[in-house]
Amino acid sequence: MKNNTWGLVDTFFDKYDLVDHHIKSYNDFVNNRIQDIIDITENISLENGKYSLKTGKIFIEKPFTKEADGSKSMIFPTEARLRNLNYSAHMYLEMALNEEGEDNPLEKVYIGELPLMLKSDICHLKGLNEEELIEQGEDPKDLGGYFIVNGSERAVVTMEEIAPNKIILERIGEVVDRRAKAVVTSIKSGFRARISLEYKKPRKSGVFLRISFPYVPGEIPLVILLRALGFTTDEEIITSISDDFNYQMIIADDIQVSEPALKLDPKEMDGLSKDERNEYLQQAAIKYIGNRVAKGMTEEYRIKRAEDVVNNYLLPHIGITDEKRENKAIYLAKMTEMLLQVIHEEREPHDKDHYTNKRLRVSGDLMEDLFRVAFTSLTRDMTYQLERSISRGKELSIRQAVRSDVLTENIKHAIATGNWVGGRAGVSQLLDRTSFMGTLSHLRRVVSPLTRSQPHFEARDLHPTQYGKICPNETPEGPNCGLVKNLALMCNISEGSDSEEIKEIIKNMNVLEE
Amino acid sequence: MNKFIKKIAQINFGLMSPEDIRKMSVVKIETPDTYDEDGYPIENGLMDPHLGVIDPSLKCRSCGFRGGECQGHFGSINLARPVIHVGFGDVIHKILRSTCNECGRILLDDVAIEEYRDKINDLLNQGENLNDLIKEIYNISKKDVCPHCEAEQEDIKIDKPISIIQGDYKLTSSEVREKLEKITDDDAFVLGVNPEVARPEWLILTVLPVPPVTVRPSITLDTGERSEDDLTHKLVDILRINQRLIENMEAGAPQLIVEDLWELLQYHVTTYFDNEASGVPPARHRSGRPLKTLAQRLKGKEGRFRSNLSGKRVNFSARTVISPDPNISINEVGVPEMIAKEVTVPSYVTDWNIDEMKKYIENGPDIHPGANYVIRLDGRKIRVYDETKEAILEKLEPGYIVERHLNNGDMVLFNRQPSLHRMSMMAHEVKVLPYKTFRLNLCVCPPYNADFDGDEMNMHVFQTDESRAEAKSLMRVQEHILSPRFGGPIIGAIHDHISGAYLLTREESTFTEEQALQIIRKSHLPIPKRKNEDWTGKELFSLLLPDDFNINYKAEICRKCDVCLKEDCENDAYVVIKDGQLLYGAMDEKAYGSFSGKILDAIMKEYGPTRTKEFLDRSTDLAICGIMKTGITTSTNDEEIPDEAQERINAHLVMAEEKVDKLVVAYEEGELEALPGRSLEETLEMKIMQVLGEARDKSGEIAESYFGMDNHSVVMALTGARASMLNLTQITACVGQQSVRGGRIHRGYIDRTLPHFRKSELGAKAKGFVHSSYKGGLDPIEFFFHAMGGREGLVDTAIRTAQSGYMQRRLVNALQDLQVKESGLVTDNNGLVIQTMFGEDGVDPAKSDYGKAADLDKIIDEMRIK
Repeated sequence: MKNNTWGLVDTFFDKYDLVDHHIKSYNDFVNNRIQDIIDITENISLENGKYSLKTGKIFIEKPFTKEADGSKSMIFPTEARLRNLNYSAHMYLEMALNEEGEDNPLEKVYIGELPLMLKSDICHLKGLNEEELIEQGEDPKDLGGYFIVNGSERAVVTMEEIAPNKIILERIGEVVDRRAKAVVTSIKSGFRARISLEYKKPRKSGVFLRISFPYVPGEIPLVILLRALGFTTDEEIITSISDDFNYQMIIADDIQVSEPALKLDPKEMDGLSKDERNEYLQQAAIKYIGNRVAKGMTEEYRIKRAEDVVNNYLLPHIGITDEKRENKAIYLAKMTEMLLQVIHEEREPHDKDHYTNKRLRVSGDLMEDLFRVAFTSLTRDMTYQLERSISRGKELSIRQAVRSDVLTENIKHAIATGNWVGGRAGVSQLLDRTSFMGTLSHLRRVVSPLTRSQPHFEARDLHPTQYGKICPNETPEGPNCGLVKNLALMCNISEGSDSEEIKEIIKNMNVLEE
Repeated sequence: MNKFIKKIAQINFGLMSPEDIRKMSVVKIETPDTYDEDGYPIENGLMDPHLGVIDPSLKCRSCGFRGGECQGHFGSINLARPVIHVGFGDVIHKILRSTCNECGRILLDDVAIEEYRDKINDLLNQGENLNDLIKEIYNISKKDVCPHCEAEQEDIKIDKPISIIQGDYKLTSSEVREKLEKITDDDAFVLGVNPEVARPEWLILTVLPVPPVTVRPSITLDTGERSEDDLTHKLVDILRINQRLIENMEAGAPQLIVEDLWELLQYHVTTYFDNEASGVPPARHRSGRPLKTLAQRLKGKEGRFRSNLSGKRVNFSARTVISPDPNISINEVGVPEMIAKEVTVPSYVTDWNIDEMKKYIENGPDIHPGANYVIRLDGRKIRVYDETKEAILEKLEPGYIVERHLNNGDMVLFNRQPSLHRMSMMAHEVKVLPYKTFRLNLCVCPPYNADFDGDEMNMHVFQTDESRAEAKSLMRVQEHILSPRFGGPIIGAIHDHISGAYLLTREESTFTEEQALQIIRKSHLPIPKRKNEDWTGKELFSLLLPDDFNINYKAEICRKCDVCLKEDCENDAYVVIKDGQLLYGAMDEKAYGSFSGKILDAIMKEYGPTRTKEFLDRSTDLAICGIMKTGITTSTNDEEIPDEAQERINAHLVMAEEKVDKLVVAYEEGELEALPGRSLEETLEMKIMQVLGEARDKSGEIAESYFGMDNHSVVMALTGARASMLNLTQITACVGQQSVRGGRIHRGYIDRTLPHFRKSELGAKAKGFVHSSYKGGLDPIEFFFHAMGGREGLVDTAIRTAQSGYMQRRLVNALQDLQVKESGLVTDNNGLVIQTMFGEDGVDPAKSDYGKAADLDKIIDEMRIK
């Protein structure tokens, strides 16, 4: 360090401390994302819309505890640790139950407890100085960033995952095998849909390009899907994918090979005009998908189901309305071209371990997953309670319908055991207190979901793109080597922001040509 | 228990016929309940007293023995309708596919049947494996038309695990059984089913054996509640459905209902055998936990085989941390007193040792050479307490057995996992020592692969004189100095033991007579006569050698000069021992290090294990004395080189880099010529790697030229005690090229490793060459590349241990039954010959000369000396 750049380092640590990523992420979760989840959740409606439940704003109080004698008192982390209590905040939601046409005023209802991250915005310790911290029985150097559930300190470790909403091109086997896959993990409000497009030489006869997505058993030919999405003519399908003649031939072959699968009836096709013919072909494609997703049902249901599946489970991050289908088709066409380029060695497949293809999910994101599921089960339980009240002819009351334990226990249980929603285990861990550095390291830990039993040599390597982001030295020896990582000392994780917001800002900056 | 000794002559595997099951059964189980209100087992229930007893106070109604002595008796359930046994789904499918749908004959013509029967008989007579032939028969016997009754054949499929489908019709178990019944005994034989022990229709169950209660004991909880075993639960389910099925059938219920119940019965019987069969939802306990049924008891790591039969636990064993002790013999092991008082040796009392035994009993269990138990003449075992001492002492007479404490000189087995070769378990002599760790001589670290960073080892105490004697002659440490792996010593000097010997025996080391005698005395060597002049280290070392010992060899410190000066070697690297006198050369790893000690090897082969043990023990003492006279220490000062050297190194590295740049330019301009069989890129990589490798070696040589033998780091590296010159090179001169999976570092950003470089840059630094030395310090980029190379090593060690362990397991499983006959014939346990001559040359590698039957050069040399 020739010109003593340590000053810069000091300045950096004046502004950020080592667990900033957790605290910022959790604050964002508490301040914005909880409300978003509640707003997005469909309102409860009963008896075919006779009753409906409206939700409003969420209020989160600073943590307190209720004693056995019913008295309320503020609770500080130390007390929670010593008495094996939870350090959690009480949540209240504005709700109103309306009978047809009514518009009752919103009332605040207690819906459950939310475990609190130490030193976050709603923590009592936020902003206290050293003396005050010592007075509360806290270590003034402790950085927070963990939870206290049943008196035990639990850290939520950061999860590494392959970047969602991004096409990842992968070659299968050697170049000469001419086999490749394009995968997108599309995420829309917590729902992950894995869309995988594969180019493979068919065994006997069949199409080269096949696609699979959730709720459709097996794989379906890409060209049929594109047709169902609104590319009605062969020409449209071919040209939208590529201008390259070689690629167009592959698509044209696929179209031809897949035609018998559509079970076209030549009699019905006779005498149709060109447009009508295209219309007919598209219908056939939709029916083909319908036969897959709802085999043995009535034709109307099959068509409806096929449209639903395509809207909701195919690339949901683009949108889930009818209008977005064309966008999806264009996206898939682009994806296909990229895949074909990989096959023809005109494009390198993605390096899965490149850090640009990775995302880190910090405590806030993980709590969001948890809260969404817990809140959904709360609404489900409320619906059940209300329905029971109706069938028993009792008067409906929101307060009685809300069983706050459902939400509390769901979240608490996950943090206490580490068994997160979606079957992931070990997400929250007992905070390592063997040494101060151990604690810090634990709070900056990054875990890869790859199984430790398989070799995964490449994934365990230190990748040059981790320079400055992941510590090159700190990784456990043994089966977890290279899969469990730690953030580099001066690495900071920013919260994600809404892409629409960014688009808006760019527009307002007047840098785009209209 | 009665002491019957039964010898198993033969084991025959087959299927149980329904008659067998009924014959074996002591009671027919009909009631699905277990106990009545009073807690007594119900007759004909699942806990019927005929099935055996667990409680020692009750008598078994079948055999009359009490609980603990009665091993239990089977019952049986008559199934209302036959069901398929899950384990046999595949077998049934295969048999049905290969037999006619109509007549049940095998789908082969008579000639072929005859032919295959002869072949099977041939193989059986030769005691060879039938599997391949049977497989072939099943493959070939598929025809569209039956060759016997000319009926057309419908395809028979199996829907895993147990549904057999003919065409589009799912066969019921009864229909399957009928088909199997049709198969003649002769045909069954050709299909690989020996009709004497297994008829094909026995694959379908009509009677279900009920295991005795001892197999499925119920446990009484603290609350007094009874909790039944999973198997009992499953049997209750089977009985219930069976009962309902019988009732419905008797009442003439509609076919549909009967079939539903039948299906349910099939499900319960299936899960009773295997609750993890694919395609069958596992049966669950009320709490949602899947039941642990028969297959689950046996299968897998926690199953009966791997956990309870192959993995038995033993008594009279101890385990603790190990630590080094150079003052005990290689044959010894230091045992903490605490352990010595816990594990015992059974000693017969005789007229000659009765006084000694009495003393042990007097000492009792808490004072060291004492005793814990005494076994009387009638076989009763009595614990030795302060209160019982007197009584025992009075009655003690020859014939009693005293379980006395472990004592000095007892033989024990010592072991460190993983036990990969026979030297992982050796017999040591006990030496009871204070404190709480096992102590072992440093020379036995290599065979155990032990170090003292927290390693633990196990000790087992022999309980019979036969085992003790056998272990003493076959398993003692000194018998294993030569490894059967490479025919050289595996037990030998390491680390300071080697550098100590070097410091003692090198040319300039001399001692006054006073010092010399001190050393000799400390080394427990016989005191020689005074000679009134200074002693050289070589003279001291010569005291260890047998008087008629001769050997010449080049030592580890040999610099491999072009012309060997032999005795005049300036490094003192040419060792000459004549008539037990070390005349020239210093001792180092080649002398008596583990894996390569020449002197050690020669002494072992010429004078035998006892002399070698003595040599090792005394040399340990001597080397330690030697090292204590000189002292040995190392610090970064050892790696200090003058500025002038640093400049030379830098200049050399710059030159190497220019060479690399030239190669890159040549490559870019297309002037580089590809090596045969390689692409242009590969050629470039290879050449660059070569240039950079040479650069590091050269810079190491430069640094080395400034080091002398007065430098302790260099002493350690050159004598082979620890570390290598490469390590010193990396510390002083240049760390060198970092590699990931054998090549330079390529992965990273698009077209470059790190954004600090230009795209497509191919230079040394951009691909992971580290110019700096560890001592000088690495710059951040070098540091990162170094971490990349280091990570690969870490991952490799983590993965390799698991993989090599599994490979070893498979190898051992394949070879464990082989035996070498006296004639050198290698056979398996069937007597099948694997090799006509062991190793095809009949050489025992442990007795060979580094793998060869004889070292001719050595023999000729010996003859020349004579």
